[in-house]
Amino acid sequence: MAEVVKELTRKEKEIRELIRAEIPWEPVGPTPMPEIADLRSWDMRLLKTYKPWYAPFCDLCCLCTYGKCDLSQGRRGACGLDIATQQARIILLACLMGCSAHAAHGGHILEHLIEKYGADKKIDMGTYIELEAPNIRTVTGLKPETLGDLKTVIEYVYKEITHLLDSTHFGQEGSYLDYESKALHASMLDHVGMEVADIAQIVGFNFPTSVADTPLVDMGWASVDESKPVILLVGHNPATSTTIIDYLRENDLYDKVEVAGICCTALETTRYSDRAKIVGPLSRQLFYVRTGIADVIVTDEQCIRTDMPIEADNVDSRVIATLDKAMYGLEDATDWDTEEIVKQMVEDKKHFAILNTKKAAEVAAKVALKIAPQRKKRWITEEEAIELAKKCTNCGICERVCPNLINIGDGITELAKGSFDLIKEQFNQCIGCGKCEQECPNKVPIFKIMQVAASKETWKIRAGRGPVMDTEIRNVGAPITLGTIPGVLAFVGCSNYPDIDDVADMVYEFARRKYIVTLTGCAAMAAGMKKFENGKTVYELFPPEFDAGGVLNVGSCVSNAHISGAAIKIANIFAALPLRANYEVMADYVFNRVGACGVAWGAMSQKAASIGTGFNRLGIPVLLGPHSSKYRRLYLSRKEEDDWTVMDARKREIVDSGEPSPEHLAYVCETKEKAMVMIPKLCIRKNDTPQGRSIKLNHYISLYKKYMGGGLPEDVHLFIRRDADIPLVYKKEVRAYLKEIDWQPKEPVGLPTLIGTYPTKVPLDAVIH
Amino acid sequence: MAVVPFHRVNVLTGIKASRIIEDPVQCADLILKARRPLLVLGAKLIEWSVDGKLALEYALDIARAARIPACGTAHVKGKMVELGVSPDSVYDVVEIVNALKDPDWRGVKKEGNHDLVIFLGVRSDLEEQCLSVLKHFAYKHLRTMTLDKYYFPHANYSLPNFKKDEQWGGFLEELMANLRKER
Repeated sequence: MAEVVKELTRKEKEIRELIRAEIPWEPVGPTPMPEIADLRSWDMRLLKTYKPWYAPFCDLCCLCTYGKCDLSQGRRGACGLDIATQQARIILLACLMGCSAHAAHGGHILEHLIEKYGADKKIDMGTYIELEAPNIRTVTGLKPETLGDLKTVIEYVYKEITHLLDSTHFGQEGSYLDYESKALHASMLDHVGMEVADIAQIVGFNFPTSVADTPLVDMGWASVDESKPVILLVGHNPATSTTIIDYLRENDLYDKVEVAGICCTALETTRYSDRAKIVGPLSRQLFYVRTGIADVIVTDEQCIRTDMPIEADNVDSRVIATLDKAMYGLEDATDWDTEEIVKQMVEDKKHFAILNTKKAAEVAAKVALKIAPQRKKRWITEEEAIELAKKCTNCGICERVCPNLINIGDGITELAKGSFDLIKEQFNQCIGCGKCEQECPNKVPIFKIMQVAASKETWKIRAGRGPVMDTEIRNVGAPITLGTIPGVLAFVGCSNYPDIDDVADMVYEFARRKYIVTLTGCAAMAAGMKKFENGKTVYELFPPEFDAGGVLNVGSCVSNAHISGAAIKIANIFAALPLRANYEVMADYVFNRVGACGVAWGAMSQKAASIGTGFNRLGIPVLLGPHSSKYRRLYLSRKEEDDWTVMDARKREIVDSGEPSPEHLAYVCETKEKAMVMIPKLCIRKNDTPQGRSIKLNHYISLYKKYMGGGLPEDVHLFIRRDADIPLVYKKEVRAYLKEIDWQPKEPVGLPTLIGTYPTKVPLDAVIH
Repeated sequence: MAVVPFHRVNVLTGIKASRIIEDPVQCADLILKARRPLLVLGAKLIEWSVDGKLALEYALDIARAARIPACGTAHVKGKMVELGVSPDSVYDVVEIVNALKDPDWRGVKKEGNHDLVIFLGVRSDLEEQCLSVLKHFAYKHLRTMTLDKYYFPHANYSLPNFKKDEQWGGFLEELMANLRKER
């Protein structure tokens, strides 16, 4: 039959021009710069098995003046929306907030660097990275060569965000599944935006790349020398923080001023200078600001206290807001004379917005140097804390408003009696929201008192290394896809943990078991805030390579794109599948063959929602901590009842594998112990060889026995295809169980794929390599 | 007057709030009227205790008194085994809720879906979210109850906020007595 040659539309021609389709580094796949509906079929296939689980926070919709509308018990709002669709709409909005935060961050960094170096500045990711932008290449089809190319990519993301946001308006989308598909689209774009941002940062600021063994840097507030002037950086965008370092170096002031950071700007700054200090994750922000140790607080964007000038006033610190996204109503002094700004900040104790990085850097340094000698900085003493704690009547209001369910009154009253053990334990659980102190009827300064509970220890964390190298992927591609490396874990997200030690404990457990453990953002910091044998953190105990048992701090939030990128690299570099504008093929490969699992144990922000959902579209399950039920949506299967059919591409037959792997795509665990059991299970893939499956089941069973009181997992039979899959050490016990339930062996799927099981433009041959 | 939930930040809700059950006799009646009740046990039961008795032991006593199957969530199973009890089923709380919202699910005993689910000891933010799932997506076939020491507005029936743990313990003791008596 003659092939029908489809004529390109104007829009398709435009896209082909943007991605320079004529350059044949790979054939252009079916979805260059995809729009909302282009990957919808893939989404619907995922959502068929992993159905959205909605937990509405309230019964109402209050987004327009037709409402409030009661959506409970099958009611629809004035616009026709039901409760499920309203939840999906909220989820899309959250993912759009996250995606836009990263994309705008990338856009700002690009503008900053193009201004500095020009749009033609080449992208060079170092000797060991040729596949510089796996997400960008896969999604858009463009191989970015310059900063200008990244601008083309970010403009595509901006355009899609506009269309997606439009769909949340009154009287638009009416299907929860379509809203979910849009949320998946927004979140895929988030990984593109993050990749733009971090490539630009690596190129523009010379952040580490093509290297694993980055420096070990100091972390913890005791690492900050408070006898010096202290500049505290809060947020995510390193444009100003790197300029501050430059200013201090150029003016021979770097020995005289401490530069410390909280949240991702801290991580970014240590990628630029290993002398910068990391105070800690987001949960430590309010504590540290209230110590008054910082002379000047420089804010940029995302996850910063929105009342920073008020908090700064309370402790006589000064604030400089450096980005237009968060100006706090401050006077814009960008065009003022530098000395005049310094004078007013020093003498009149004013805060300013300064949107010029060089000027902000100079002002920060000068103000810090001038005011530090006049300011009294010291930690509260135990005696003072005991006195202040005596005001507490243990009325219990603090417990009622604590999102982490801590009875702080107990800790404070124990402290008033001279016992510090409980308050120290509670400090580790505290997520730093400050609600307890705000609601206290006796005005007990809880955060101030907690200073005596705060650990004065310092820890070592490895500076963010950026992308996984192509050479590393070549080494581990086979063991990961065969299952002999039992899994690739990504500990990501914010610091809304039940307990800050949880992350370090999980990283330690799985690195010891030879999983590859990658980390970013606040999770990367939290993992380093616990010492194990010989007083060492996980970064000192385990090698930094992307290999079995490695523990890698990839970098900040935007570095998450390097983790999804590593999964794509396995499909492209190891399996030699073309990635160009070929998202479905990449996602299908990752879903069926790469035993990866995200762990967002403290996910809190909208960015974490989009990062996680972006992993989901790429076929990577994400396990969340208990607070994340407040996101309102999970993607769950019901293992014994859902559709586990796949295409066996070798036989070209659809087969019912009966195997729930991966079992869920977005899943909440109540406790760390249960998470330890779920993680190895979520790394199981249909492609595992008998040897690989046996290794994965060995971890699943042994962790189950450790945390669930012995016995075998109730569902272990679902993951055993043949006797060879059973781990040697549990052979006898498992065989006896299988006999008891009359288990029958089944044929492993030769080449599992979802392509061919749903309507798609992708031919089956495209997944055969 | 509207009841304010105990963990205010985690448990704020909409306009449909649960009925407060303050009388153990009435509570026992509601449980015993159910044809296929299910007790879902959360990890807080391993942390909480009243007068030296572990909250999990109260929960297991209730299950025994009313002959209700118990579902161990999180890592509760480990402690149950330690106490010499095997759970009738083991699911994580989001999984059991996912199953419960399907009217055609066969239940933990494979006898048909449950008509009453009783939560006890799941951390409050997660429990309230799970109750919300069932309130919105299982209201036609399932009633929900909590026996925790706090008020949960998304349930059909909830205990009030108890000022003291001992009051809660006393309620549970009376509930057990009534369950045994009426059974």
